[in-house]
Amino acid sequence: MTDKAAGTLLYLDGVNKAFDGFKAINNLSLVLEPGEMRAIIGPNGAGKTTMMDIITGKTKPDTGDVLFEGSTDLTRLDEAKIANLGIGRKFQKPTVFESHTVEDNIVLALKAKRGAFATLFHQTTKAEAARVDELLATTRLTDKRAMLAARLSHGQKQWLEIGMLLAQEPRLLLVDEPAAGMTDAETAETALLLKEIAKTQSVVVVEHDMTFVRDLGVKVTVLHEGSVLAEGSLDVVSSNPKVVEVYLGR
Amino acid sequence: MITGFLLNGFDTRARIVVAILVAIALLVPAANLYLPADHPLHVPTYAVTLMGKYFAYALLALAVDLVWGYCGILSLGHGAFFALGGYAMGMYLMRQIGTRGVYADPILPDFMVFLNWKELPWFWYGFDMFWFAALMVLLVPGALAFVFGWFAFRSRVTGVYLSIITQALTYALLLAFFRNDMGFGGNNGLTDFKDILGYNVQADTTRATLFALTVLFLALAFFIASAIARSKLGKVLVGVRDAESRTRFLGYRVENYKLFVWTLSAMMAGVAGALYVPQVGIINPSEFAPANSIEAVIWVAVGGRGTLIGPIVGAVAVNFGKTWFTGVLPELWLFALGALFIVVTLFLPKGIVGTVQAFWANRRRPATPAALAAEPAE
Amino acid sequence: MRYFSVLITALWLMLSAVAAPAATVIADADLTRLVNQLGVGGFDEADAAIGSLAATGDGRVSAILDALGEGDLFVRKTDKAVVKAEAAGREFKLTDPVTGADLGTAPKAAVEKIRVNNRLRRTIAAAVGTLTLRSDDPAVRRSAAEAVMKSKDAAAIPALDAAIAAETDERIKVVMVAARAAAVLESDLPEADKLAAIETIGDLGGRDALAMLASYTGANGAVGEAARKASTSIESSLLLWDAAQNITYGLSLGSVLLLAAIGLAITFGVMGVINMAHGEMVMIGAYVTFVVQEVIRTSAPDLFDYSLLIALPLAFLVSGGVGVLIERSVIRWLYGRPLETLLATWGVSLMLQQAVRTIFGAQNREVGNPSWMSGSFTVGELAVTWSRLWIIVFALVVFAGLMLVLKRTPFGLQTRAVTQNRQMASAMGIRTPWVDAFTFGLGSGIAGIAGVALSQIDNVSPNLGQGYIIDSFMVVVFGGVGNLWGTLVGAMTLGIANKLLEPYAGAVLGKILLLVFIILFIQKRPRGLFALKGRAIEA
Repeated sequence: MTDKAAGTLLYLDGVNKAFDGFKAINNLSLVLEPGEMRAIIGPNGAGKTTMMDIITGKTKPDTGDVLFEGSTDLTRLDEAKIANLGIGRKFQKPTVFESHTVEDNIVLALKAKRGAFATLFHQTTKAEAARVDELLATTRLTDKRAMLAARLSHGQKQWLEIGMLLAQEPRLLLVDEPAAGMTDAETAETALLLKEIAKTQSVVVVEHDMTFVRDLGVKVTVLHEGSVLAEGSLDVVSSNPKVVEVYLGR
Repeated sequence: MITGFLLNGFDTRARIVVAILVAIALLVPAANLYLPADHPLHVPTYAVTLMGKYFAYALLALAVDLVWGYCGILSLGHGAFFALGGYAMGMYLMRQIGTRGVYADPILPDFMVFLNWKELPWFWYGFDMFWFAALMVLLVPGALAFVFGWFAFRSRVTGVYLSIITQALTYALLLAFFRNDMGFGGNNGLTDFKDILGYNVQADTTRATLFALTVLFLALAFFIASAIARSKLGKVLVGVRDAESRTRFLGYRVENYKLFVWTLSAMMAGVAGALYVPQVGIINPSEFAPANSIEAVIWVAVGGRGTLIGPIVGAVAVNFGKTWFTGVLPELWLFALGALFIVVTLFLPKGIVGTVQAFWANRRRPATPAALAAEPAE
Repeated sequence: MRYFSVLITALWLMLSAVAAPAATVIADADLTRLVNQLGVGGFDEADAAIGSLAATGDGRVSAILDALGEGDLFVRKTDKAVVKAEAAGREFKLTDPVTGADLGTAPKAAVEKIRVNNRLRRTIAAAVGTLTLRSDDPAVRRSAAEAVMKSKDAAAIPALDAAIAAETDERIKVVMVAARAAAVLESDLPEADKLAAIETIGDLGGRDALAMLASYTGANGAVGEAARKASTSIESSLLLWDAAQNITYGLSLGSVLLLAAIGLAITFGVMGVINMAHGEMVMIGAYVTFVVQEVIRTSAPDLFDYSLLIALPLAFLVSGGVGVLIERSVIRWLYGRPLETLLATWGVSLMLQQAVRTIFGAQNREVGNPSWMSGSFTVGELAVTWSRLWIIVFALVVFAGLMLVLKRTPFGLQTRAVTQNRQMASAMGIRTPWVDAFTFGLGSGIAGIAGVALSQIDNVSPNLGQGYIIDSFMVVVFGGVGNLWGTLVGAMTLGIANKLLEPYAGAVLGKILLLVFIILFIQKRPRGLFALKGRAIEA
């Protein structure tokens, strides 16, 4: 089991999770290589969000293995520990600290000691300031740095959240529907941004928007009723009769 | 590192507030002690004590605001920490009475002699020493808050559930302290104090000094709270208030942050209680009443939660109103207080200070951080 | 001393019952003739005369014999008639012992006291005992047997034997058997008889039996041994009865909690609204009961037994109306902000308390119990008061009624729909603001009728509600928010736990322990006993 996981970044095997008898995740197995970018698609209720919850420690699976970098058992850790291991997560609904400035949002996300006393006496270093500038530039929010996050547009909040994810310097990013509620132009730019990120980090993108997935041009996993229905390039899976059936109805 | 932290807190606004408080701490006692009684600016002793009480309440309000305004934890049980601090001080004052009590027992306070107790219970040991009592003023509320918070935050009890169990906590303590065999004077509590550190508690000079100390402690607490609010930890706390799970997924141990600010706040409340008791001359179980804790919350709401000046303004204003009402229209006070709860939550969610700040901020430039930092937390 | 007064009471009961025209067997003249025999001759003749009097079985005989025993019977020297005499100044006031007719007065020298010795006294006691033990009135027989049980008079054993043989009422027979056993233990009968008596008492069980055995458990020999054994077995069964008694207390406390909490379970559990003024809705209901009773007292006192029935709908309407008013004026602006709702409704509660204090005064108000709510009855060793029983029944009826409303009516359906998905319900044409208002009104109205019930067992004062608000929240939170069954189980569990703890920890400490337990419990299971599970709730 652990041998099979060796050399992988994320390894899920035989994962099950039921809520009051409803099987949200059903014998799910998924392997992600280091540096890989993966798109996950699937109809509503396919278990995409629950899968993210399990990886990030929000939900504990009933059975199954969830391993990070081949050896770390994620099912035993809580959210904070997993985040500090280097797994960042972006929510479906953009979640930023609305009563902080854009800059403070990034500062809070910067990789640093997370202990209460460390933050109490923390002073921003030059290196950190430079990193903040860099991230603001990447997410195109430099001119909004003093603005309260609450005043950003929906798309800008999505970008700010991605920026916060990057500030954590994670080895794996889990991105839930980054294009939801965006204009076409924003969607295209987001795809570019994610591809840029994927050069240095592993990324899992959950998305509904097929155009967006096509823009990403990566390997696709189709989830259905809590387990993997098909895997491969978008063209391969979209010609798979089972996938067509699930998406178009029987 | 620590100096940096302290400098952080000492911004212009904090400097102004601390300066005003220090001025009050010096001028009011001076006007009481050195101006002749017929001088227009003379402050009578009863007024000094009354204001001292208000400022002790202000310190309690500041403690409530630190957890509620900055971390979103609505405590309906801070009165418990306040009362525990008060009891610790009261125990010291009881032991200072010595043979001057009704039964003239050199060791046992009157109520123990009355209950036919033969020796001092173990938990009264050491309270004859001021330094020990002062330490307990911090440690007892702090330890209770730590244990309570350790359980509550770890199991992620939040929102109204947490509010209700904090209320149950103070209610349980209320019932416990009413019992005679708890050893804290039962129903009557601790009273008839004679002196503190050798000075007569009734003397004008002692009262003026206690007033000054109360205001100075308030200034110190304000300064600490201000430094915390401006530190990265303060920003994490606001993050917890506004988006707890985001904070968690960024890798912050939310429960540790809550526990830190919760325990600190309980200690502040304990200090407030300890300053309050020698000035009012009594501490009894009714200080644990849930209604008291909720009243402290409304001081914060009136003044403006999530601002540090707000709770001070609110506590002083509401208690001044209370004194005035109960003197002039006693039967109307509860109507007024009840209406205050409703009006503030419905029409003034940011409180007085928050609303004024938002107004000025809007006039200067739209939406500065200060204005929105006072946004109500959910 | 107490034992003595019990004896007197028992005798008085016996005598007053005997005086009733229960069993006149023979004519006054015949009885008078027999009574007159008492004054003829010495002790032996008097003994015989007592025997023949007792043999008549006449209901008046025991009073006459009692008078004889007390030394109140005299012989009138002029005609040798036996009269009852009472000192009145220097003279005696005479009455006929049979008819009670006034016979005027006579100088002291005109009468002579019929003397009694100890032998006669025993004969009299036995005769009286037999007479009352054989009375036609079951109540008299019962109290006669109970009197023997207290006096443990060995002389009564033969009379009891006869009475037991003749007794047809099983319940009275049991008392007689117990009385006989008690008398046997005090007598100088052989050990075997005493052992049998102890066994009889042991089989009887109960607190009285334990008290009867108490004086023999210290004795040496087989009797002491048997008494100890019987006591232990009674004690262990009594322990069970005690537990059962505490459970009935617990059930009734649980019902009170249920009544107070169930309205809260709707506003907090179903609507998610924290109503700190909930206790005041209960208080208003209690005051409605007070007002109804005042009106009845002054205008239609005959209706007093119906006062609670009249108060119930009124309390529901008044509290419900106040609830709707609060919802429309305050709470509806605060949906989705539970902490603010909490503070605003606390303000409402302060104002309501003060309003009631202004109108009715701060002191406790007297609310009476209708006749069907007073008194109690026993089942085995259990004492159950009617008020407790009615409150349990009432709480369960209210619970069932509420379940029906929520599960079976269109209004309930709409409420549940709004609870689950406000937007969708609104889109389906449900007027969500009205559903909110009425649901809140329903919860408040139920608090009002809880107030009617609580007015029967608690002080009606402006602070009535404050005492229940924390308990009610504990019940709802403990049982699991959003689940009425959880509220039922939570209320009963906490009620019973409270009462079971009380004997060991005392009332206040028991309550503190329970609060601490709930505080710990909530931290372990933040969503209560019957939590709704699932992804939606965890989000």
